[in-house]
Amino acid sequence: MSLTQAARRTTEPARKPPERSASSTPAGPSGTNSRLLALRWLALRAVALVVLLAVWHLVVVAEVWPRVLVPSPGDVWHAFVQASTTHDGVRGYSGHLLIEHLGVSLRRIGVGTGYAVLVGVPLGLVIGVVKPVAVVLEPAVTFLRTLPPLAYLSLLVIWFGIDESPKIWLLVIAALPPVAAATAAAVRTVPGDLVEAARSLGGGPLTLLLAVRLPAALPEILTGIRIAVGVAYTSVVAAETINGVPGIGGMIRDAQRYNQTDLVIAGIIAIGISGIALDAALRGVERAAVPWRGRT
Amino acid sequence: MPRSDTATEDRRQPVIALDAVTVRYGTKRAPVTAVRDVQLTVAEGEFVVLVGPSGCGKTTLLRTVAGFERVAAGTVDVRERVGVVFQQPRLFPWRTVGGNIAFALARRGVPRPERAARVAELLERVGLPGTAGRRVWELSGGQQQRVAIARALATEPRVLLMDEPFAALDALTRERLQEEVRALAAASGTTVLFVTHSAEEAVLLGSRVLVMAAEPGRIVAELPVDLPREPPLAGHGLRGTPEFAALRQRLTETMRGVPEEVSEGVEAAPVP
Ligand SMILES: Nc1ncnc2c1ncn2[C@@H]1O[C@H](COP(=O)(O)OP(=O)(O)O)[C@@H](O)[C@H]1O
Ligand SMILES: [Mg+2]
Repeated sequence: MSLTQAARRTTEPARKPPERSASSTPAGPSGTNSRLLALRWLALRAVALVVLLAVWHLVVVAEVWPRVLVPSPGDVWHAFVQASTTHDGVRGYSGHLLIEHLGVSLRRIGVGTGYAVLVGVPLGLVIGVVKPVAVVLEPAVTFLRTLPPLAYLSLLVIWFGIDESPKIWLLVIAALPPVAAATAAAVRTVPGDLVEAARSLGGGPLTLLLAVRLPAALPEILTGIRIAVGVAYTSVVAAETINGVPGIGGMIRDAQRYNQTDLVIAGIIAIGISGIALDAALRGVERAAVPWRGRT
Repeated sequence: MPRSDTATEDRRQPVIALDAVTVRYGTKRAPVTAVRDVQLTVAEGEFVVLVGPSGCGKTTLLRTVAGFERVAAGTVDVRERVGVVFQQPRLFPWRTVGGNIAFALARRGVPRPERAARVAELLERVGLPGTAGRRVWELSGGQQQRVAIARALATEPRVLLMDEPFAALDALTRERLQEEVRALAAASGTTVLFVTHSAEEAVLLGSRVLVMAAEPGRIVAELPVDLPREPPLAGHGLRGTPEFAALRQRLTETMRGVPEEVSEGVEAAPVP
């Protein structure tokens, strides 16, 4: 049964558990077929990318807009290389290579999301199972979720200064609501029949929460974490608007101040690509951590 | 018909005693009486089968004995530790086969180092040796139900409640599991309360069969099953005997006759 399925109390109609057979695994001609198809979609993507770059290049060559505003793909590549190497005794941009800027931001995202998970999962569990807590805290979580990070950045700067802590706080505040909300929703929809089975085996309330509801909710919790990482990603540039160097957001911010549009674009692309890679990695983690998803 | 041994069973200690039990679902304003005024006594070591058409309150009654339902009236007295096997295996997919059984052992306070050996032993008992490390979704429906039985047995219940545990299985697997459950219960002296809608299964397994009728759910007839169960006729060997056929026939007729006789206006329940 799927985990999102509402608890079903009665025992009919008979749902036959899926019998596994060798033919259910893709193999042989159909396997190579689907691989070929996947390859074709990949090729389509590559073509689309090339077309985009070509149009971009043509627009720049035609000088539709001044070059300072719209640099060519070559300019962006150049800015990327400059920011990624040591040249004329200057290390990258503002003394840090682009990859180092990115690394610092990723670390902030990791730490911020980490705290958000540490607080958000227990918070979501409590919200999910204790009604009075839900009544009080659920609107608070929703309130927090709707706030744009830039709105509370000023407050965080007043409270925590301009060093590392306001940035981490901002990311925690941004990443916490999705984790807590996903956890709360997930523990609420844990199939009642699994809880009942555990209860019939002698599980007390704490065991039911930690050994049944929590693992049963794990797929949705992991999805919540993945969303939280995405939110932290989109918030990191906001977090780094003040004293953000090193940091990819700080780098973009500084480049903007000096009208280095090519570097701004290079930075944006770096964020985007690393975001896609991270999301793919998290999906991999999800699959590995909850291999039962969609199988029962 | 054969001499009933109800008299001897009555002398044994009752492990389940329901007195005038009524269970209702729904709201106060629109209540649905699932079970009304049920009297049920099960003595130690009995294999009692509840049989009846779907919707007649069998599951409700079993869940009441398990303590999952609150009664609207009457008293429920269950003396011994119960284990429950549901129609669906209800295994925890995040745990391995062995992990599911170890969960039950942990609840019984079996120390961690002893669990692996106990898991292996229980899996052996349900005919699944060496599967402790398997993921539950790799097993067939019948194998999953065996694991569910092993998990229920892990708590060492003195009473086993089973709610149509084999209804979702294919005929061959069902026959094998029926035989095994009967043998397991006989060997360990475990009391069993077994729910089914099949007259065949009821006669095959039960030492006493209680027939239920719907609207409201209640017990309308009792049929002692006194069949020879010595080795040559144990399990499915029984099926070929005229005694078995006669008893099954009688039960089917009772089940068929019940709805019209007892509560007029109720449409005849389908009998499988
Ligand atoms: N959770 C529930 N809420 C409302 N009605 C229910 C619920 N469970 C069972 N019923 C009703 O109670 C009656 C008995 O159901 P059940 O005990 O499941 O019957 P059986 O197991 O014999 O098929 C049926 O009329 C059913 O619709
Ligand atoms: Mg039922």
